[in-house]
Amino acid sequence: MSRMELYSPEGLRIDGRRWNELRRFECRINTHPSSSDGSSYIEQGNTKIICMVQGPMEPSLKSQTNSSKASIEINLSIANFSTIERKKRLKNEKRLIELKTTLERTFEQSVICKLYPRTVIQINLHVLCQDGGLLAGMTNAITLALIDAGVAMYDYVSAISAGLYDQTPLLDLNTLEENDMSCLTIGVVGKSEKLALLLLEDKMPLDLLESVLAIGIAGGHRVRDLMDNEVRKHGNIRSSRLVDQ
Amino acid sequence: MAKGVEISTNEQLYVLESLKQGFRTDGRKLDEARQPNITLSPTEYGYVEIEWGLTKLAVRVSAEIVAPYEDRPFEGLFMINTEISPMASAQFENGKNSDDEILISRLIEKAIRRSNALDLESLCIVAGSKVWQIRADINFLNYDGGIIDASSLGVMVALQHFKKPDISINGEDIIVHSIDERQPIPLSILHVPICISFLFFNPVGIEENIKGDLNEEISIIDANQQEELLRDGSLVITINKNRDLIQLSKNGGLPIDVMLLMQLAKKAYVIADNLTDKIKDLLQADEKERYERMNLKLLEVGADR
Repeated sequence: MSRMELYSPEGLRIDGRRWNELRRFECRINTHPSSSDGSSYIEQGNTKIICMVQGPMEPSLKSQTNSSKASIEINLSIANFSTIERKKRLKNEKRLIELKTTLERTFEQSVICKLYPRTVIQINLHVLCQDGGLLAGMTNAITLALIDAGVAMYDYVSAISAGLYDQTPLLDLNTLEENDMSCLTIGVVGKSEKLALLLLEDKMPLDLLESVLAIGIAGGHRVRDLMDNEVRKHGNIRSSRLVDQ
Repeated sequence: MAKGVEISTNEQLYVLESLKQGFRTDGRKLDEARQPNITLSPTEYGYVEIEWGLTKLAVRVSAEIVAPYEDRPFEGLFMINTEISPMASAQFENGKNSDDEILISRLIEKAIRRSNALDLESLCIVAGSKVWQIRADINFLNYDGGIIDASSLGVMVALQHFKKPDISINGEDIIVHSIDERQPIPLSILHVPICISFLFFNPVGIEENIKGDLNEEISIIDANQQEELLRDGSLVITINKNRDLIQLSKNGGLPIDVMLLMQLAKKAYVIADNLTDKIKDLLQADEKERYERMNLKLLEVGADR
């Protein structure tokens, strides 16, 4: 049990949020226009992630070519200085490979891969700072970068983590909270109630799952709105520039 | 598609069409799991063979005395070793860890090791210097789907079946008594996690799946190899008898509705509940059989010698 008061009787969490509030979510798109086809930078609380998309482009190896659809390749790099303790990480740690495959399989379904046969879409993720919700942050960053790259997708995939403290579900956990309670990450497709990805790694009572999922989905929709706002704002700026010329 | 195993378009369409009609090629219902066949070794403690349909695997649990990790001096060690060889199926390559294999071993690890199914503190002999290391080796003999379910079941049964040799501590020395000399001691198991895997198929187009209001995705429990190769998405639910979800893992794939997920979790609980009882009965029967065969009655207090 933690010595910290994760959820006070007044209904406040360590960082002053209430149970259903997101952390500050800021995103930018087209941050690296000269080094990639699409790029994004997100800050979800203190978690900071850069995502760059290359492609659809010719695969470097002929053997990777899939003649019916595009293949998605994700490279994860988590900076050694992203956590308080500086850690030397091995590149092929099992946990990272799991995250990578999870993301690849998620986006294979939401990108319209069949429009880009014989190509590869390379996604490079750089995690600069970790403060909970790593998988969620990465999913959101990839969604934005793919939109910026102009890759056809069926819908937004917005992800969020939610946890359970005693009986109360809490939205968007930070590291301190993640370490002390069971935490669930979900990826929601657009405005629907469909889950593209789902990951629960700690114990959670079956009967309380529904309430955690419910606030997770609501939070996912909120994140989608915030991402959509940014994309539209960026689009408006660009189109107004076109008018001026 | 996996290497070395090809499925023709005809077969693909046939399987999908029959799923739409509610049939599976091996005659099961959509929500019917195969019944595992568990064989406990009559001579050795901790050796178990699982037959789950045509999927077959062997689990051997062994123990040795090692030094603990420096940061955890009071805890024993527990390792699960999964190596999938081409013996199980041509789709697994030798020595090369494909992403699928890593995913499988990671899921088993999370279900059993991370959830603390085995009490590690009870494995401590001398704090900081000597602890038991328990090791579960899984050998995959044949592959016909459901590899995660079968291996997690196998490891859990083997752990409950295993007994470590009795020890006595004499100052700095540790005496390990052989099994013939003293009765060995069972491990302490905190709970029994059971993995149940589900596969999803999309009978309508992907646009309908994302934009449509009808939820027509087909979900099946405990797929065989053919179904596993044709799936659009998968989900592994790990649950125990106490209605605790240990892990949920849907690594991408076809988006599914939340209500469907809740239904599946409830179905998984029923299956896990039955399986746990079945394991318990089996272990009790084995214990009784050994008791009679080895004439352990003679050792009991008050036995007429």
